[in-house]
Amino acid sequence: MIPHDPEERRARIGEYLLGLLDEQDAVEMRQLLEEDENAARMALDWERHFLELSDQVPAQTPSPALWPRIRQSLGLHDAPRSSPLANWWNSLLTWRLTAAALAMALLVAVLMPLLRAPDITGERYTVVLQQPGEAAKPGWVIQVGRDGTLALDPLVADQVPEGRALQFWTLIDPADGPRSLGLVEAGQPLRLPAEQIGAVQAGQLFELTLEPAGGSPYNRPSGPVLYIGRAVLASAN
Amino acid sequence: MADREFDYESTLEACAHGDERAFQALYRQEAGQLLGLAISMLGRRDIAEDCLHDAFVRIWQHAGRFRRELGSGRAWVHSILRYRALNALRSGGRHAEVDDEFIERVLDDSPQAEAQTLEQSEQRLLRRCLQRLERPRRHPILLAFYRGLTHEQIASRLSTPLGTIKGRIRAGLRALQECLQA
Repeated sequence: MIPHDPEERRARIGEYLLGLLDEQDAVEMRQLLEEDENAARMALDWERHFLELSDQVPAQTPSPALWPRIRQSLGLHDAPRSSPLANWWNSLLTWRLTAAALAMALLVAVLMPLLRAPDITGERYTVVLQQPGEAAKPGWVIQVGRDGTLALDPLVADQVPEGRALQFWTLIDPADGPRSLGLVEAGQPLRLPAEQIGAVQAGQLFELTLEPAGGSPYNRPSGPVLYIGRAVLASAN
Repeated sequence: MADREFDYESTLEACAHGDERAFQALYRQEAGQLLGLAISMLGRRDIAEDCLHDAFVRIWQHAGRFRRELGSGRAWVHSILRYRALNALRSGGRHAEVDDEFIERVLDDSPQAEAQTLEQSEQRLLRRCLQRLERPRRHPILLAFYRGLTHEQIASRLSTPLGTIKGRIRAGLRALQECLQA
């Protein structure tokens, strides 16, 4: 039974949002929130206050694969589109862009020899991941191609204890802390596209840590470092 | 952290009209904070990411149901995440195996802390009201919020009879709403 007294009702909605109502009351509450605007307003009011508590939790970087997975689940396969209204506008824009692109293509054809600046093709990097303090025990090797894609390949087959997982990290700026690049299967190669890695710099740190199954519960490594290495330029040209 | 410049309401309305750029902007803006909350509740990054996935799928599919006259867009987004996380907890029959040191730290009881919170006023309304709540009423509410625990789990975690916990949470929420509306 959901109380009619507004204050009693507001408190009961708070309990519902905390997941504290039994199933029967929760069903009744969901229906009330669908039908009763005042109740829905009370619920959003609680949630607005709860945001203060949410913001006490440190934010965590989702693994790079999550966004593509969400898009795939929703069947959003193409490049992001805009709203229908914007589409109409864009279709006008498309014409202009086509004309501009043609002009640019001509320009590029003429200027092509002059445009071969060295930063058009990225540098290649190699990282040998070794056990900390063991210079002669490489375990994994990373290669970053000119297009920025990253390949992580095992040199050894690690034995990961039950209930544990290997997590892959990189550290670009110590002020930002390590960024998770996701979980790694022992003995299995991993490929990551450029947009998930960002631009790699010489000296950039990569590491594999031993974490609880499912990965570190924090936004930083929580377990021991198994392998670590820094990016070195593989080719200057 | 909330970004005062980010217009959650208009972003959700754009999502409702199929604007994928708005959806992506919302993800960039809020996914990190939502994931932090999901990990706090579920205790495992992989399950938390599944939950975040489900929440964003739902946000896109149901953006049309959001109505700005009923409340904050950011609150709406967070309510969807929390709902998914609670479902995952209740259906999985498990709860986060993480220590509660964090919860103890969220609200510092010291007078200095209260003074500091007061200075930050407006933005800290709920925390200020929680600080005024005595610990036996406050702690179960925080366990429910951050860990998604049920009455029974809270009672066992705090070694307190179930009826007492139910009463304290209800009384705590009543006191909170009075304080929030004062």
